[in-house]
Amino acid sequence: MRYFLAEGWGSARRNVSLISLGTMAASIFVLGVFGLVMMNLTSVTGHLRSSIEIRVYVEDSLQAQGLEKLQQEIESIEGVDTLTFVSKDEGLKRLTSQLGERSGLVDILEENPLPDAFDVRVMNADMTPDIASSISDLPGVLSVSYGQGLTEKLLATTRLIGVTALILAVILLGAVLFIVGNTVRLSLVARAEEIEVMKLVGATNWFIMWPFLIEGMIVGFMGSSVSGISLYAGYLACINRVAPVVPFIPIIVEPAPVARLCTGLVVLGVLMGVLAGGVFVRKHLEI
Amino acid sequence: MIRFYEVTKIYPNGVTALASVNTQIDMGEFVFLVGSSGAGKTTFLKLLTREIVPTRGQVLLGNRNIARLRPREVPYLRRKVRMIFQDFKLLPNKTVYHNVAFALLVTETAPRKIRPSVEQALALVGLENKASAYPDELSGGEQQRVSIARAIVGDPSILLADEPTGNLDLETSWDIMEVLLRINKRGTTVIMSTHNSVIVNGLQQRVIELDNGKIVRDDRKGVYEGEAEHNAVLPG
Repeated sequence: MRYFLAEGWGSARRNVSLISLGTMAASIFVLGVFGLVMMNLTSVTGHLRSSIEIRVYVEDSLQAQGLEKLQQEIESIEGVDTLTFVSKDEGLKRLTSQLGERSGLVDILEENPLPDAFDVRVMNADMTPDIASSISDLPGVLSVSYGQGLTEKLLATTRLIGVTALILAVILLGAVLFIVGNTVRLSLVARAEEIEVMKLVGATNWFIMWPFLIEGMIVGFMGSSVSGISLYAGYLACINRVAPVVPFIPIIVEPAPVARLCTGLVVLGVLMGVLAGGVFVRKHLEI
Repeated sequence: MIRFYEVTKIYPNGVTALASVNTQIDMGEFVFLVGSSGAGKTTFLKLLTREIVPTRGQVLLGNRNIARLRPREVPYLRRKVRMIFQDFKLLPNKTVYHNVAFALLVTETAPRKIRPSVEQALALVGLENKASAYPDELSGGEQQRVSIARAIVGDPSILLADEPTGNLDLETSWDIMEVLLRINKRGTTVIMSTHNSVIVNGLQQRVIELDNGKIVRDDRKGVYEGEAEHNAVLPG
């Protein structure tokens, strides 16, 4: 093992350039930035999605028996999580409290204009439009409201950003693989004679490959740790200034999830390094 | 025992290097492979280290068909069948000691066994006093002796020599032959390809002559007739 470590470290020191290290660190950094954006978006959309509710207004003509039947019918729809009955009096009370200082408006009305309603929570926000449509078809339902359009837009935006991040991640990981692979290729060229002798005297393929895998690991670690540390420090420094300005947006301010992401980036860099080392050395050695 | 059964080797470019070769070499023998350039000598040797595999036929070492070895078994074959070359293939940035020790290090030999084995190999080739020299500080003959020491350091049962004296003057070539004979006396099978008629004629060992990929002569105590015949038919 001492031989592998010494050879791997020696090769990494000889063949890794500041330019390739910088390019790799930048690629992983950009990947990390996208990771942080995704984490924050997930937090915001998660918060918004958890507050999505379908308000089902029922016809005034529906008596207690009819309400009970409708409740059972809504509950039997697949994807419905919980259902709360909001009587017209309760609805008026909520409206009054929402209006606050303007609650006097309610007094102007001679009678309660609100119908009875159900608040329906769904198990999965993606199912909201379908469930709302099923409910609106039920007899006794006056109207259905869940912020039509907004939910669909939110879901579509989240998906778009997710796909973009995935494509970018593939491109950037390709760049990291190429950079580490190129460093390993230089080592292969520099050590061609040595490798020839190793094969000649009966070194196993694994024995020949190990120093290159370790070299890839070292290069991957160097590049990703630079970006991981700077991303962690940079994000926390920025967020501590941004968070007080936008208290209503649930962005991530705790260090723990950021640290997990940055550690993940370092692990990813190391894995990419080993993978690139393995792929290139196998290809060049025709193992 | 080494056996070639109907061995044919055709390279991807269509060149037939060996054609239906049959022969048998017992363990402990010393064999010269002779023949003109392109006769198939190097192909013969490369088949024994599984650097290449035959197109048809079998190359047997003991009872094992070398061509059938799985890739992960090949390194272990090469610890038993070692090869030396005309161009020595020494590592210029390592001393004589470390060049020889390298063969043990990369074959995962126990560290405590490395030093005595290297010293023994260097003594056998007469280079015990040059252990700390670098290859470029040595003569051609000395470099070849280092490469022999590296080849024999793991006690292989077969030593293949591909024109080991090709770059050396006659006097130095005799030094190398002395080393190879000494190694053969210890029980190692030696198969050497060569163009050096003086050495072949002088040592009177078994001679296998190849011509256009075929064995045209196999003499128990042979001479390098090929050159004489070849010279005889050359005009002028």
